[in-house]
Amino acid sequence: MAHEDSFPEGLVAVDRTAGAVRLELDDTLYPLEALYGAAYTFIDRCWVLLDRPQAGRLRATLAPKAGAGDDGAALHALAGEFANELLSCAWRHQIAQQNRAIIEQVTAQAVAGAMGPPSLDDLAKFEFSGEALEDPLGIAVSWEEKYRDKKAEPKAKDAK
Amino acid sequence: MTELRFHRGLYAGLAVEEAVKLFAPHATLRVREEPDHWVVEVEGGARERRVAGELGNYALGLTVKHGNAR
Amino acid sequence: MMLTQIRKRDTASQAFFRYRPVGDKVVVTNQSGSFLVLSQPEFRAFAEGAVERESALWTRLRDGDFLREELNVARASEQLRRRKGFIHHGPNLHIVVVTLRCNETCVYCHASRADLGATHTDMTKELAEKTVDQILRTTNSNVTIEFQGGEPLVNFPVVQHLIEYALEKNRTAQKRLEFTMVSNLSLMDEEKLAYLLKHKVQICTSIDGPEHLHDKQRKLPGLSAHRTAAHWIKRINEAYVEMGLDPTLYHVEALLTTTAEALKFPKEIVDTYVALGCRALFLRPVDPFGFAEKTGHRVEYPRAEYMRFYAAAVDYMLELNQKGVQILERFASIFLTKILGGEDPNFLDVRSPCGAGIGQVAYNYDGKVFTCDEGRMLHEMGDSTFLIGEVGRTSYRDMMGHPTVRALAIASNLDAQPDCVNCAYQPYCGVCPVHNHKTQGTLFGRMRESTLCAVHKGIQDYLFGRIADGDAAVMETFRRWTTVRDRAHFLQACAT
Repeated sequence: MAHEDSFPEGLVAVDRTAGAVRLELDDTLYPLEALYGAAYTFIDRCWVLLDRPQAGRLRATLAPKAGAGDDGAALHALAGEFANELLSCAWRHQIAQQNRAIIEQVTAQAVAGAMGPPSLDDLAKFEFSGEALEDPLGIAVSWEEKYRDKKAEPKAKDAK
Repeated sequence: MTELRFHRGLYAGLAVEEAVKLFAPHATLRVREEPDHWVVEVEGGARERRVAGELGNYALGLTVKHGNAR
Repeated sequence: MMLTQIRKRDTASQAFFRYRPVGDKVVVTNQSGSFLVLSQPEFRAFAEGAVERESALWTRLRDGDFLREELNVARASEQLRRRKGFIHHGPNLHIVVVTLRCNETCVYCHASRADLGATHTDMTKELAEKTVDQILRTTNSNVTIEFQGGEPLVNFPVVQHLIEYALEKNRTAQKRLEFTMVSNLSLMDEEKLAYLLKHKVQICTSIDGPEHLHDKQRKLPGLSAHRTAAHWIKRINEAYVEMGLDPTLYHVEALLTTTAEALKFPKEIVDTYVALGCRALFLRPVDPFGFAEKTGHRVEYPRAEYMRFYAAAVDYMLELNQKGVQILERFASIFLTKILGGEDPNFLDVRSPCGAGIGQVAYNYDGKVFTCDEGRMLHEMGDSTFLIGEVGRTSYRDMMGHPTVRALAIASNLDAQPDCVNCAYQPYCGVCPVHNHKTQGTLFGRMRESTLCAVHKGIQDYLFGRIADGDAAVMETFRRWTTVRDRAHFLQACAT
């Protein structure tokens, strides 16, 4: 099979003049996170441009920095490698969503176990001023603040 | 002249802006807006292809770093 | 056997399992690491939910926690907890590169050694002290300081200083402290040996096989690198006996870097190790770090060829064991400890998550600190991705909390990895994100294209193939290979 036949028609196009290869992708098969992930791994050796030619379609254009000239086989191989990485990223995205709890748990335990508890010096440097959590139900409010008698306050003031 | 088309749904506007700022000293850059894209025209003589390519990569990198176009 | 061949699939009777055909059998494993080797009819019955209750097969499946209704959650949880016990403890292995200078030139050198004139690559005593201070901050109560290079004996004064400083500081830190050294032994002399023996430093060296192979790959100007190493292996082993130590337990450890040339000599390599009195042989494949970029065309090979070599060497070792010769293969020992022993030997390169940062740390001669030795080697090649700090400037917690450490913990978690997530060997295996980064450009990598995955899968295929054969003598040898005997002599006493 010639390299031009490696992909279904219309999915890969080689532009020998520009020294680039374009892949057209179905965005229902490859989440955006996977496209970013795959594209990012190529930016050290390729110039990568992403586009959305129409609804439901994505396009990735890769041009080897070292120049591929009119080497169609090399550009097709590049497309193949990109497609493999894209598949890997897409599946990993799915796995990460499914196994998120265990991945987070293991990572937290491993890093926490290695870091150990903070020392007094670490606590002294810790920035406590930021909001620790969102509190839509107003739970993180002291009893006094929640139940103080607002009407009583002016009387106390008048008493002075 | 090389034209880079950055789709608004795929690239963060700030990322494109930063990339244009960074590479402005190395080529003549013109930016215009279209409904779905930011378009950057690059004119740079012998370096044009490289500047355009690296500008695109930089915008992509920043977009990924800051959590995509959304 | 493919599941598509099983027509009447039943998904209600099985607890979670993964499977892999090995020869004409099928290996099934589960999340807690239990395994069974099933015949194809047995596997079909299992997959179709057609196993007769109380039959021999049913009992095996129940006892391995493969049946949903019979799943002993407490037992499975305890098994998993034992396998993953290492997670909560910080780095125990601390690799200290005291110099890059080396007097040998090895064709596959992954440490990017420097010439003997490059004294700027020697660690100073001041940095050695700061390194020890950092090491003893680990949350792990066990600490092994491993001297590496270059050739650590080139900078022996700093080795001595570090040992003595560490012993002094450990009086307060109270760690279970051990020292090891990886050395080519060519600069050893009686004075250095006396010091190392007195300070209980475990010694490890490289032996690439018979003299002609070793000397072809490891050039020692004017001398035979093999004869020099062999002389000192013998001398050190004699010294252990003189000290009253059990030679079956205390001897020089040696390991091999398997090059393309070495693939031709599996039996000769094993014979060389046996003749030197070694009890273990680590058939490490060549890695992509250091000089391998330039010499890869000479030393590299398809991993299928490595597996043929591996099988030939281990088959021969098993024969020798049956004749009473004690020699084990280290990779096999690591995997068998997990498979048969239900324990994790905490070999940091083969566990999930891997040991990068959280299990081991590498300290370079200039004080820069890396997630692991491979990360440090990449730095010497110009890629500092795995740099996490500098002794004296970066706190211990900041190093451990470094985003790179976290990224590597995630990237090496097999529950996050395509292919591994479905692999039957997942409970026993591990990936190296640094290897992935170097060879494939991403921390995660693609396992189908990973040479390291090919090795791990290949070795486990070999081991499960032998287990499936059911040879009692082989199984007895395999069980002996899982036995970890404590070498208490090397543990430093911390006087309070």
